[in-house]
Amino acid sequence: METLQFLMEGFAVALTPTNLMLALCGAFLGTLIGALPGLGPANGVAILIPLAFTLGLPPESAMILLTSVYAGAMYGGRISSILLNIPGDEPAMMTCLDGYPMAKNGKAAEALAVSAIASFIGGLIGTLGLILLAPVLARFALTFGPAEYFALFVLAFATLGGITGKNPMKTVVAATLGIMISTVGIDISTGTQRYTFGVLELYEGIDFILAIVGLFAISELLLFIEERAGKGRALIQVGKLKLSMKDIYSILPTTFRGGILGFVAGVLPGAGASLGSFISYTLEKKVLGKKGRFGEGDMRGVAAPEAGNNGASSGALVPMLTLGVPGSGTTAVLLAMLISLNITPGPLMFTQNADIVWGVIAALLIGNLLLLVLNIPMIGVFVKVLSVPPMYLLPMVTMIAFVGIYSISHSTFDLYFMVAFGVAGYILRKLEMPLVPIILGMLLGPEMEKNLGHAMIISDGDWGILWGTPLAVGLWLVAGLGLILPYLIGPILRHRMRNAIKEDAVSD
Amino acid sequence: MTSFGDRFLGLALFVLAVSYGWVAQQWPPPFGGHEAVGPETFPTILAFILAGSSLYLMFKPDPDAHWPMGRTAAELVGAMVILVLYAFVLETLGFVIATTLAVGTLCWRMGAKPRAAFLVGVISAVSVFLLFNNLLELSLPGGLLEFD
Repeated sequence: METLQFLMEGFAVALTPTNLMLALCGAFLGTLIGALPGLGPANGVAILIPLAFTLGLPPESAMILLTSVYAGAMYGGRISSILLNIPGDEPAMMTCLDGYPMAKNGKAAEALAVSAIASFIGGLIGTLGLILLAPVLARFALTFGPAEYFALFVLAFATLGGITGKNPMKTVVAATLGIMISTVGIDISTGTQRYTFGVLELYEGIDFILAIVGLFAISELLLFIEERAGKGRALIQVGKLKLSMKDIYSILPTTFRGGILGFVAGVLPGAGASLGSFISYTLEKKVLGKKGRFGEGDMRGVAAPEAGNNGASSGALVPMLTLGVPGSGTTAVLLAMLISLNITPGPLMFTQNADIVWGVIAALLIGNLLLLVLNIPMIGVFVKVLSVPPMYLLPMVTMIAFVGIYSISHSTFDLYFMVAFGVAGYILRKLEMPLVPIILGMLLGPEMEKNLGHAMIISDGDWGILWGTPLAVGLWLVAGLGLILPYLIGPILRHRMRNAIKEDAVSD
Repeated sequence: MTSFGDRFLGLALFVLAVSYGWVAQQWPPPFGGHEAVGPETFPTILAFILAGSSLYLMFKPDPDAHWPMGRTAAELVGAMVILVLYAFVLETLGFVIATTLAVGTLCWRMGAKPRAAFLVGVISAVSVFLLFNNLLELSLPGGLLEFD
């Protein structure tokens, strides 16, 4: 019942006129960001962080804005999957399988509506799961000591590549690079200058916001220039919506199963939204068997992955809010916002910043409702935006990134830094080096070092404390599995995902 | 299938790891004597991890990606130069002029017709400038267009 009371207080925060407006703006912008190919959710949230800052929003409002963008991006990803057969973001990949055939059969409007409803229900299930699970996990996390936290951070890095990740060693390299960047600046505990080389701008360390914007937004521009993909592609026409109540009933069981599976996949480290939508799609195919026409434009084939990916996106907030350990790129960016707002993420946030946590959760519920309302009648607007060719869009996004970073500090030094990160991001992406661990390393690096120091003070310099309790040993074991499993299972899973898509291409 | 990219990356990272670790050993001991964890402990651990994983990259590299050559490479370098110049002239020329030039050139190089490209540049520059300076009350540099 305590939870219910907190939730009510959360609604009181989220329902103030300003915050409601921000949630609406965020949901709208998020859908746009998700819909545009090449502007994934992590990217979109990253570009908006500087703006949230410069507007001088109070912490709960800033978080509500960004969470709505996050929720909106998950809705938006489906639009280009259905109309262009190009997923707007990675989790929307499975939506292509049945969404695009539906659109080709002249049922684009239905596919969009069904996916919006499925996204809504999936998001709702995920948020309910978050409400039930997060306080419990936060209470459990209070028993963690510094050694357990240190192990937990290692686990977060080890599982970040995901079970389907390609080369776990590259995740290790990327995470280490990120942590190394975070050590630049004056050491908090001793005051020693580290890697500053006497440059004044480096004394306070490298701001992770400009690193995030550079790595994601600027490198995207460079990739588009390289691929000469500036012209955009032809869209499928969206006809008039013909959807009966019977159709909606027919997708409900699928949607519920997908939402729950997605939520579980989102909470678990190393699974994430992509796996969530993949599992729910394959499960539906198994459950319905011959009754379904999967791959040829079955409505349930659109509903399952969409419910799964929205369930997972709420699920991914559980470890971020309770442990301060994000499980995906976008939640890592949300964590960056929290840290910049001087809020220490982790179990204490539930007691010390209850208004923010519950305000965000309430905003997720409201945001989902707003998104459903936005997405059915206004789908035409989003479809129009999708036809803006990247050659106009990406330069403008770049400009917004410049404006955002400049208005934080009014220093051109930061802009050069951002461009440098952008070029580095482009090269690293070409080398298939994942960027999210770099960001996470920059965010968690200082916390890791702090916890290591505390653990050593407690144990009087005995390194054994790091694996001294059963809980810590367990965390280390999971971390180890996170690095080894991709070698064992990864190729099989990746193979299956590829096959699922190939089969579809044949029946197309 | 060559794998030059990963080997080169591994080598560069190895050099980085060694120099990063070496720099950490040069710091004077902090005031108040040595603790179990000094300012150099954590960086030293990181240096070892990076050195190890970069050796792995050198010996077990992934196959190379396709790197742009010739014109595409020139376009890319051009775009990078535009970005650096944009940052360089932002304060002196002012936001509107700098943005028109930068956005316009980028749109044009990405395949838009020059006139459409610079039109988009002007419109986006002016609207963002008005939005920020008037509605949101954040000041972007006026530069040459500043008169008061």
